[in-house]
Amino acid sequence: MPDHGALSEDRVAHTGPVPAPLYPAPPWFLPGARILKIMFETDKEPVLQWLPPKLTRSSPPYGTITVEDYPESPVGPFTVAHQFIGCRAGFFIRGFALQSVVSDPIALSALREVWGFPARLGDVSLATEGTVVRASVSAAGSLLCSLSLEDSEPIGADTARFDPSLTLRLVPSLQENMRHDLIQLMQIDPDVTIADAVRGRGAVEYPAASPWAVLPNRNIIAATACSMDTELPLARFVMPY
Amino acid sequence: MKFGIFHELSVGKPWTPESESNVYHNALDQTVLADQLGFDQVWAVEHHFLEEYSHCSAPEVFLAAAAARTERIRLGHGVMVVLPPFNHPARCAERAAALDIISKGRLEFGTGRSATWTELGGFRCDPDNTKDMWDEAVRAIPKMWTQETFSMEGKYFSMPERAVIPKPYQKPHPPIWVAVSSPETAIQAAERGIGCLGVSIGTPGEYEQRVKDYRKAIRSAEPVGDFVNDQVNGVTFLYVDETDKEAEVWGTKLAYNFAYLAAHLIGISSVYPTAAYKTPGLLFGLRQAPKGERAPGGGGVIREGMGVGSPQTVIRNLKMWEELGVDRMLFILNAAESVPQEKVLNSLRLFAEEVMPAFEGRSDSSIRGAAADPALPMP
Repeated sequence: MPDHGALSEDRVAHTGPVPAPLYPAPPWFLPGARILKIMFETDKEPVLQWLPPKLTRSSPPYGTITVEDYPESPVGPFTVAHQFIGCRAGFFIRGFALQSVVSDPIALSALREVWGFPARLGDVSLATEGTVVRASVSAAGSLLCSLSLEDSEPIGADTARFDPSLTLRLVPSLQENMRHDLIQLMQIDPDVTIADAVRGRGAVEYPAASPWAVLPNRNIIAATACSMDTELPLARFVMPY
Repeated sequence: MKFGIFHELSVGKPWTPESESNVYHNALDQTVLADQLGFDQVWAVEHHFLEEYSHCSAPEVFLAAAAARTERIRLGHGVMVVLPPFNHPARCAERAAALDIISKGRLEFGTGRSATWTELGGFRCDPDNTKDMWDEAVRAIPKMWTQETFSMEGKYFSMPERAVIPKPYQKPHPPIWVAVSSPETAIQAAERGIGCLGVSIGTPGEYEQRVKDYRKAIRSAEPVGDFVNDQVNGVTFLYVDETDKEAEVWGTKLAYNFAYLAAHLIGISSVYPTAAYKTPGLLFGLRQAPKGERAPGGGGVIREGMGVGSPQTVIRNLKMWEELGVDRMLFILNAAESVPQEKVLNSLRLFAEEVMPAFEGRSDSSIRGAAADPALPMP
């Protein structure tokens, strides 16, 4: 009998290549993070167009953009911006990740492959000057979105809320007539320890041609900025699409 | 303990040209039957823009129609949103007084401030200010009713001296309540000498401390009106059938659909960072139930103390509320017509025949004139 290989499943890296993954396995601890979060009412049509069938829209429909600066992570500092659709999974409040931009190529790979964020490489800036927080999101040399929080005032850390994210775990198919070999919904539910939080007058603007304009800002709901320790955790739930 | 019914007027999709009409008229028919069966109060909410969950944005119209078709049952605004961006307080006083006159003194005046972004955002109303707005209005409205003329230079509304008319039929004025979904508001209700209208669907255990705190605080009330209303109402679902098994089928549909529609609203505390809304309000109690928590034999959304089950089960459940000192339980009868109307009416009949007699004091549930029977004397 020929000799069989001895690479047991538990010794395979969490992602390819098998012996030398690009990035460490989750969870990733992310201390000292700064996050700007702006929620806004948006249109019903794009929300329904882009939500998976298991998810339902709120009334009124809303979107959320977060701009996140991580000075420390297992792959070094990076910044990331996410655009979410506010939605419901059964009885529960969730944000479905529609688009993301991340500043670091290794973080990009991990966010796509492990956590299912629809990320592309780009530039994400987040800066605070006095009572103003400004952020911008760009990719391939084009501005996608600019955001601001003005006239910030401190709020209790217990009033700032971060809803769990839902992402798509996709394994593309190489079989004919098959688009995916696997498509699942994942719930990413990080713990957050908020050190301080402010809220203020929020603004979200997109250049007309920006793909992020798919969720137009019709009415700002709330803008908050927080400093916190957080994480990119293991998925809380993985569900069939 | 006494019993009442509580209408949200939820209209499930898909909508047809008759959907809203069917819900309104079914609710009116339920109210007429409840009046005949000895339920002593009917309440109608005021909600705006809450598609499917509640299409009851003009409750005074619904309650006026109910007044015209009933004899005894008292008519409750559950609640009127007394914030100036929604309703000028003088308009609140006028409409309530008119309803009290039309009903010959059957009004229960519930007040509130809304708990959703959907509504507050719709009226461009700052969530941070709603408690103070409510406080200003709830102190002004009784004066509008009892003074010949009224003027006000307030923080959130002002008006020159005017005669706010008509005056209520009940003298000095109808009982005043506030929607209570947090421990803080229960105490604030007591401090103002107004009734505690529980609007969160919780278990008796969740209400217990709230009722104790209210009872303690109301002993030193400084009433905003001319008398103290010290009543405590709770709210839950009602579906009674011959057996627990049959009741649980329809009771679960009712509770599940109510909670599912509620989950699609945007509660203030879920989107807007403010200390002014510490709890999710009416809307979200059910989905916070721990997994697997259920009354004996009930579905996942059937919780302890609900009016769902056979008559014996419902008696047992409601006794828990009675032991807490809750004066009255109000019942949500349907959600998006998930229970056929005939079953709703049969449930009401069965409740009246087999459950009501088990509760002492029900014979007192006739019209309770505010002036004739103030709960506590004026300090």
